[in-house]
Amino acid sequence: MPLPENCRRWTLLRVALGILCCSGTAAAADQNPPLPDWSGVWERYEGNGGMFDVSTTRPADGRAGSPGVRQFPPLTKAWEEKYRETLEIVAKGRLPDPISYCGTPAGFPRLLALPDVYEFIVRPEQTWIITENGPNVMRIYTDGRDHAPPAERWPTFTGDSVGYWEGDTLVFSTVSMVGEKHTILDRSGLTLSDQASIETRMFETDDGLLRAELVIEDPLALTEPWHVTRHFRRLPPGTRVYDYACNENNRNPITDAGQTLTLGPDGKPLDRSIERD
Amino acid sequence: MRLIIVLLAVALSFKAHAHHSSAMFDKDTIRQVTATVKEFQWTNPHIWIQILIENQNGELEEWSIEGGGTNTLFRRGWRPDSFKPGDVIEIKFNPMRDGSAAGGFVGAKLADGGTLGDW
Repeated sequence: MPLPENCRRWTLLRVALGILCCSGTAAAADQNPPLPDWSGVWERYEGNGGMFDVSTTRPADGRAGSPGVRQFPPLTKAWEEKYRETLEIVAKGRLPDPISYCGTPAGFPRLLALPDVYEFIVRPEQTWIITENGPNVMRIYTDGRDHAPPAERWPTFTGDSVGYWEGDTLVFSTVSMVGEKHTILDRSGLTLSDQASIETRMFETDDGLLRAELVIEDPLALTEPWHVTRHFRRLPPGTRVYDYACNENNRNPITDAGQTLTLGPDGKPLDRSIERD
Repeated sequence: MRLIIVLLAVALSFKAHAHHSSAMFDKDTIRQVTATVKEFQWTNPHIWIQILIENQNGELEEWSIEGGGTNTLFRRGWRPDSFKPGDVIEIKFNPMRDGSAAGGFVGAKLADGGTLGDW
């Protein structure tokens, strides 16, 4: 979706202000803070074991990956059927979560619902969302550019994101996500298609939470726009962020049948029964 | 040594930051045992506590107890030397459903009297 012309002008002004602040004195920068301060370390506010849309999760306290726990987006008939089939696999404990293989990132929008901590690096020309778990790095360009033309982009885990600042609110559009091919939204197994697009508004609330409001559209998966809200809370000053190398000591490989194994310290499965295709 | 089986309706510590399904653990059951630490693997995506438990025949069995990742555990008070080889500890875990010698960490009372997780 192209940026509106007034947003493009506002974005260019923001970038120019940022350059001035960075090249001028610190005092000048303090007097003209061009962007909100989202520094520090944050963690997800919503629980439910990473359920993506907590507002429609049933049962309300259900945890992602637990039998019978699901959410209720406005799914098309075909996607509802697909989700129900996946939920049956979840109930058997045989859903292979892509991130459990330690090979690919969670991708957007799931990266807004991960454990461990977050950093939101705000610059006039770009904002980075960095998740400790994974890790994931998502780049949101706010320098006035549009999405790359279709011939110059392809489905990726975080997609292609461009946006602008509307006061202290980051507004951005994301397209070209890989969808169901390599990502899920949470361990209930819900997916989107690679035709999904997401409009996101992020801002800090009066009570200090960082709020992300998503409007998700998907001609294959959804009958109407799906509204999802996620929040993050700031951790105490001085909180550190660490490496997360998923393959450092992954003692839980997954069989072709979707069974998560448990390896002993010698690398051999401890499981008494192993299911294979 | 004592082996106490406690039935609870809810899952506890392992749930928070698993990078994989926890379906293999019986989260309705918590076992509490006295054990000797053999090895502590302070690693991602999960920490592992290798413990020795005396079975009913008086033989020592090695069990693998899986916890969350290092980063969030550190921020909750865990340290790379929280468990040292030779430490005698009390530990609670959700056992594997199939009876394998492994479990999901719930809580522990350390050799120095401190506690970690749900204790």
